[in-house]
Amino acid sequence: MGSLITDDEGFPKPPRWAVWLLSHFCPGGLEDELQGDLLEMYTYWLKTVGVSKARWRYVLAVLRLIRPFTRSRASQTKDYTHPEYRQFERWSNDVRTTFIVQPAMLPNYIKIAFRNLTRNKIYSFINIAGLSIGLACAMLIMLYVKDEVSFDRFHKNVNNIYRIAKKSKHNDENGSTGFLQGPRFTKNIPGIKSFVRVQGGSEDIKKGTELQEQDGVLHVDSNFFSVFTFPLVDGNPKTCLTEPHSIVLSEDAAMKYFATTEAVGNVMMIKEDTTFVSYKVTAVAKRCPQNSSIQFDVLLPFNVSDTDAKDTHNWFNSFLSTFVVLDDKANLQTVEKQMQRFYVADAKQTFEEMLKNDGGDHDLFSMGTYFLQPYLDMHLNMMEIFASNSLTNASNPMHSYLLSSIALFVLLIACINFVNLTIARSIKRAKEIGIRKVVGSDRKQLIVQFLGESFLLCTIAFVLAIELVQLLLPLFNELTNKALVISYLFDTKLIAGYSSLYIITGLLAGFYPALVLSGYNPVQTLYSRFQIAGKNYLQKSLVVLQFTLASFLIIAACTIYAQFNLLTKTDLGYDDTNLVLINKQNLKHTDAAIFENELLKSTNIVGVGAKNAGAWATLGKNAVGSTIIFQNETIDENYLSILKIPLIAGRNFSTAYPTDPTQSVIVNESFVKAAKWKNPIGEIVKSNHSIYHVIGVIKDYHFASLTRKITPQLFSMNGLYGAYYIKIKPNTAAASLKWIQKTYQQFYPMNPYSYVFKNDENRRQYAEVEKWKQIILFGAVLTIFISCIGLFGLSVLSAEKRTKEISIRKVLGASVQHIVTTLSIDFIKLVVVALIIASPLAYISANKWLQNYPYRIMFNWWLFASTGLLVMLIALFTVSFQSIKAAIANPVKSLRAE
Amino acid sequence: MKRAFLGELEEVVLLTVAALQESAYCASITQTIDQQLGRNISFPTVHTTLQRLEEKGVVSSLMGGATAEREGRQKRLFTVTAAGQRALMECRLVRTQLWDGPAIRQIPTSIIQLWEA
Repeated sequence: MGSLITDDEGFPKPPRWAVWLLSHFCPGGLEDELQGDLLEMYTYWLKTVGVSKARWRYVLAVLRLIRPFTRSRASQTKDYTHPEYRQFERWSNDVRTTFIVQPAMLPNYIKIAFRNLTRNKIYSFINIAGLSIGLACAMLIMLYVKDEVSFDRFHKNVNNIYRIAKKSKHNDENGSTGFLQGPRFTKNIPGIKSFVRVQGGSEDIKKGTELQEQDGVLHVDSNFFSVFTFPLVDGNPKTCLTEPHSIVLSEDAAMKYFATTEAVGNVMMIKEDTTFVSYKVTAVAKRCPQNSSIQFDVLLPFNVSDTDAKDTHNWFNSFLSTFVVLDDKANLQTVEKQMQRFYVADAKQTFEEMLKNDGGDHDLFSMGTYFLQPYLDMHLNMMEIFASNSLTNASNPMHSYLLSSIALFVLLIACINFVNLTIARSIKRAKEIGIRKVVGSDRKQLIVQFLGESFLLCTIAFVLAIELVQLLLPLFNELTNKALVISYLFDTKLIAGYSSLYIITGLLAGFYPALVLSGYNPVQTLYSRFQIAGKNYLQKSLVVLQFTLASFLIIAACTIYAQFNLLTKTDLGYDDTNLVLINKQNLKHTDAAIFENELLKSTNIVGVGAKNAGAWATLGKNAVGSTIIFQNETIDENYLSILKIPLIAGRNFSTAYPTDPTQSVIVNESFVKAAKWKNPIGEIVKSNHSIYHVIGVIKDYHFASLTRKITPQLFSMNGLYGAYYIKIKPNTAAASLKWIQKTYQQFYPMNPYSYVFKNDENRRQYAEVEKWKQIILFGAVLTIFISCIGLFGLSVLSAEKRTKEISIRKVLGASVQHIVTTLSIDFIKLVVVALIIASPLAYISANKWLQNYPYRIMFNWWLFASTGLLVMLIALFTVSFQSIKAAIANPVKSLRAE
Repeated sequence: MKRAFLGELEEVVLLTVAALQESAYCASITQTIDQQLGRNISFPTVHTTLQRLEEKGVVSSLMGGATAEREGRQKRLFTVTAAGQRALMECRLVRTQLWDGPAIRQIPTSIIQLWEA
């Protein structure tokens, strides 16, 4: 209630804002006495009930005394000079009701409202269509945001669950951990109650006689179900993961393998190395809620060998997620400090040894700092520690912001339409307002009437909007990668949100017109001398605002489109067409060659190359001793030619040189730059205790996504292969794939076979950008559509208003062209102003967005010019539609009656 | 809202105005009711009641009497008009008539004594 302010004698004064409120909203003529009386009351209350109650009572009294709750004395100017008690009865009949709505008038209001709606169908359509689209957008986005915000909240103990994460020397944050962090921290730090490790992956499971690669497999500690709240259909949550060969299935997985959810007790065969091991189903879990970061189909108990559990090197291997449950009373900072202290004590020695052996230095590696990330923080984390590493569905909070602001824009533009059209059209209703006033309507009553009309429209729009949401939900789900259902709408919070949305929209759209319309002077309106006031800056600026928003979004959409095109169309530096990728782990060079030869027996196969799976960065030194971080790749002699990666110096690996597999490397241009070599051929690279000679340099190619810069790359033949790159003849995909599969299964019967086309995989990397593109495009189309129907409505009204003017112009000899120009130019000017405002804004924000990409489009003036032209053409088309109609109308029709 | 008679609240306020004589204004009336009747009627309620009484013509008001306590703000002092006096008397008359009337008399005195207890 504001801070306490004391007067000279040390008594606290009444709240200053309440005093201010009373002085500004006091009923006319009563301020003096009320302020004085209340001050006295306040001192009285101070003595009798104490400071806080006195202040409270003061505020309550003020709130009840200010307008509109109390009548002013001005309305009570009756003559009481000869008060007679007998007259008292008569006067009391005269006491006015305090209601502003006269019940008798209500049917009339409703009737007039409906007549107005049906009379001007274009106007009603524009308003209802605009508002319902706007509302539908807002509803969908509320649904989306609610889902995002409620993510992961269903776990009972969620506020005490944290993920162990680590900050490196350069403040890179990483949410993955190894075997040791969970058990050792939990054992040694009193604030941590328990831990659970989660490692994701896939397993090869036998279904009947068929071998299936099952995704969504999580290896978890046995207390998984006591930390996380995933209800079971069947089985005991406490014991279902304690046995080493137990397995927990989701409902879906149980249906898949056993065609029933009552699968407990059944046995499944899972491949381990080269044999199959039987696992017993101990529980079936309900399907994971879609707003969960942890999604699983199969849970297996986590097994760590004793040697692994003791080996302190495991502090530095991180590949899984460790979650800890903190004690209710534990202090987060203290626990983090204790963790770090214990970690340094336990792992320091190993770290120093490793560093010495690797020849690394302290500049590049440090032990890092452990910290705890709240579980709820993972889903919308913008930094690097989002829900990754066997966790799914991480989402960019920018999407929420972006969607919300688009919804807001659309709704705002629809409301602007309403305001503009109602005011522009009010000239037709001026007589009605005049008559109402003459007959005795109060201004307040008129305001209520017009607000009521706006709410009527809003109600119709609201109902339509709900229908629209129902209709658009599947499309929206696809766009946002969610599985929202219409029944989510019936959530108390959402219903409250929608109701407030309804009220806000009704008020936003209706309040200003109601205020303006009710203020008309009846004398002027009834004498037909009434003109809409002056230049009408409000309407103009609102139109400018609409088109600014619309053109901003269009420019944004174009930029994203162009950038997306760049990403998908850029020459990657290698040829990814007709390139099939299949995986086979841990292949030696000689084994690979046999398989390659077998594959090449088919005429459809152009060539086969092998490369390591995945990518790992390591570091080495050049002859001078400076350190270079690079991607270490293992390839065979065919790889570069299969991918058509050109050499710019030196030679490729060749079987003609027996030392190639052990001593030669090829590097890329970036490596040469990083090593500052003038003449790279023959230079030396020291890495992994070996010395290599550079035999060739290749042109840089985009081995990773285009959202990353090309980093130094080093190719050797010294390592294991993990993937085959198979070039097939164009248009032989089906036959080639069949051949590849047959050969693969013949060679590696124990391995599940799967393949991807490299160009498909490349395209998938840009799914995120694609989504942005779609969202912005939708937003741009919607805003420009609603802006245009608004503009159309305005041009209709303006042409109607100027019918006589146009007719006279025509009679005096103006051409149709001239009249169209006259009618359109006013609106076109506004659109131009909007463009001028929108362009720099769009430029700045688009530029900021593009900073995310190392390879980005250049801004061209023609992007802005073409957007401008597009918006202008759309606007011109909208306006001229009505202008031409007005211009070719017969002038006699409008002039003959006066 | 037709009311040709004084409501109970109106009667209490009007009586207090009469009792306070020269110094009857909104704050003093509220405080008197609070102290003497032990009834917690809020200040705004008294204010609106006074307004209504004035509309009905049973009190009249004039401005005056600023004090330091109220930072020099004027008071609106109320006095009971002739109509007000008549209205009060009528109220009292109605009550005594009811109390002394035959209906109440039929109730045994012992029961009325029980009411008082």
